[in-house]
Amino acid sequence: MKDDTLRTDGGTATITDRLRRNVEQMTIEDAGLYVVLLLAAGFYLVPIESGLVTSIKTGTAIVQTAPFAPPGPSGFTLAKWQAAVEALLRGMGNSMLYAVPATIISAFVGSITAYGLTIPDWKQSYKALVLALIIAGIFIPYQAVLVPLTQFWSQWAQLTDLLSFVWALGIPDDYVGIVELVVTHVAYGIPICTLLFRTYYKTMSEEMIESARLDGATLRRVYRRIVFPLSGPMFAVVLIYQFTQIWNDLLFTLVLVSTESSPAAPVVLILAGLGTSMEGQDFALRMAGAFFAALPTLAVYIFFGDEFAEGVAA
Amino acid sequence: MATLELDSITKTFQDGDDEIVAVDDISMSIDDGEFLVVVGPSGCGKSTTLRMIAGLETITSGTISLGDRVINDVPSQERDIAMVFQSYALYPHMTVRQNMSFGLEESTDLPDDEISRMVSETADLLDIPSLLDRKPSDLSGGQQQRVALGRAIVRDPEVFLMDEPLSNLDAKLRAQMRTELQRLQDDLGVTTVYVTHDQTEAMTMGDRIAILDGGELQQIATPLECYHEPANQFVASFLGEPSMNFFDVTLEGDRLVGDAFEYPVGAEIRDDVGDVTDLVLGIRPESVELVEAAGGDHDFEMTVDVVEPMGDENTLYLQFDPDADSEGAATLVATTDGLTPVSSGEAVVARIPEEAIHLFDRNTGEALHNRSMEEAAQQIDLS
Repeated sequence: MKDDTLRTDGGTATITDRLRRNVEQMTIEDAGLYVVLLLAAGFYLVPIESGLVTSIKTGTAIVQTAPFAPPGPSGFTLAKWQAAVEALLRGMGNSMLYAVPATIISAFVGSITAYGLTIPDWKQSYKALVLALIIAGIFIPYQAVLVPLTQFWSQWAQLTDLLSFVWALGIPDDYVGIVELVVTHVAYGIPICTLLFRTYYKTMSEEMIESARLDGATLRRVYRRIVFPLSGPMFAVVLIYQFTQIWNDLLFTLVLVSTESSPAAPVVLILAGLGTSMEGQDFALRMAGAFFAALPTLAVYIFFGDEFAEGVAA
Repeated sequence: MATLELDSITKTFQDGDDEIVAVDDISMSIDDGEFLVVVGPSGCGKSTTLRMIAGLETITSGTISLGDRVINDVPSQERDIAMVFQSYALYPHMTVRQNMSFGLEESTDLPDDEISRMVSETADLLDIPSLLDRKPSDLSGGQQQRVALGRAIVRDPEVFLMDEPLSNLDAKLRAQMRTELQRLQDDLGVTTVYVTHDQTEAMTMGDRIAILDGGELQQIATPLECYHEPANQFVASFLGEPSMNFFDVTLEGDRLVGDAFEYPVGAEIRDDVGDVTDLVLGIRPESVELVEAAGGDHDFEMTVDVVEPMGDENTLYLQFDPDADSEGAATLVATTDGLTPVSSGEAVVARIPEEAIHLFDRNTGEALHNRSMEEAAQQIDLS
């Protein structure tokens, strides 16, 4: 609440004053509502809390305490976090290498495609056809394209050969998987990005665009100077959505990079095998790894949070 | 600056299998520096006409030319036309200064300092220099309106197009802006086409007004001509508040016979009418006079049904037959001096002066006889 910052009458109510006033005005219904809300919040938070406490427990503490109970002083350790960070750090870098470009490119291409499908004047029936084809792309499941996708990259577009000059620079040719992931995720992301941007552009003031055209701006300039700068909130939505989607995707990485031992292995691939061995599951390590791997998506949410709210509301 | 010429332009929309004619064969010529107001009820095609001039709608047939250049296929951005929209359509992410510079940056190669000089000049002209660094969302409606105007003016275009630019303002601000717009247009001398549904704006602002209905041009003339010599019944009813009284009458010999009254007319009027007998008699409320006692064939004893005091004048609803129920009975609306005490139910004598009546063909709506402008002017002089 921005209550106190918005007040301009110089009100001097202290926190305790306000608290007392709130409590005095509370009815039975209010109290009931808060109890329910607290219970619901607890219900949703328990798994996260359990994961967090598990990640800082020693092996014996995991066996001896309940999953959601905090470890005692003797059962506390940060060793698992350390191990997780060590194991995942190189994967984080690799994931960034494809998640960031793929997110930005798909958002940008989606925005331009949506612009082309809404603002310019061309035949409505053609627009509808192109849009229908693009939207259809959203509904193709990942699993359905796995075989054609591997065939495409192994037979039709052999990037390993095409990019030989890159490998000559001393970069391991395993990184071809990263390039393939970028292209694949961009292709897969364009339909949903286009749809989201199109919905947003439909609500833009037509008169404003017309006004810009009359002011002498070409289509390209209208996008550059009017539509693009006003797309901020929708870019936040699309960036968050795409980044989370691409960062967390395991299927394409399994198919295109496949081994966790590869120098180009993304974080999800390493995480999948983290803490599992013949002796059983290392729960603490798995939890620490999961939290560590989720940090970038969390950061993106926090970073674009305000714009996200605005874009979702639009 | 140049003459804007519309030559029988037509616009049809396809709605399923139906073809909707939005603008039907409109021709008009707007002189260099002229202020033309296009007015009509909603859906009459006035905005479509404006948008065709702007290049925002394609033209189904006909030509639009600016000077000696046909601009049918010239894209909007190359027409050298500036438009002010009803919603102002300011760019919300730009400051007022950026909003005003945008058009110059996009349509000319002027250096930055020249552009900023022109923007400041225009801001001075509109009295908004203090707003230059603010965003549109921080401005009041009236201020946004000024910025929208400024954005058009700064480009110094061949033609201004204005699409109901004042309709989002409150009444008082609207009256003020009306005067200011006229003054500005006068100073700048830019050919202007102004679309409105407000007949006060039409009457007061334009050099000429073009009245549209159902996509067709009804009349294009000076405001006073349209008011006193309407081309047809639509124009007569559209202009003037309260609007003209109409009574269906039949010409029998030298008398106009209506449901509630008979009205003898002179030879001159009968000549105008020719052999049409199904007529509509029109009389403006302000032309109806209240007299002491019935003294001729044009005086009628009537009953006051409702009085609407406006302060400066009263609007009276008079009935020919006091016993008729107020629905459906022939009612004559008259405006009188606001200081004359009249009350509901009172019996009065109303005179419908013969020189002030209009006669329309009941079938075509066409005006057969109008009061002459000279007579109207004389009456104004006398009062």
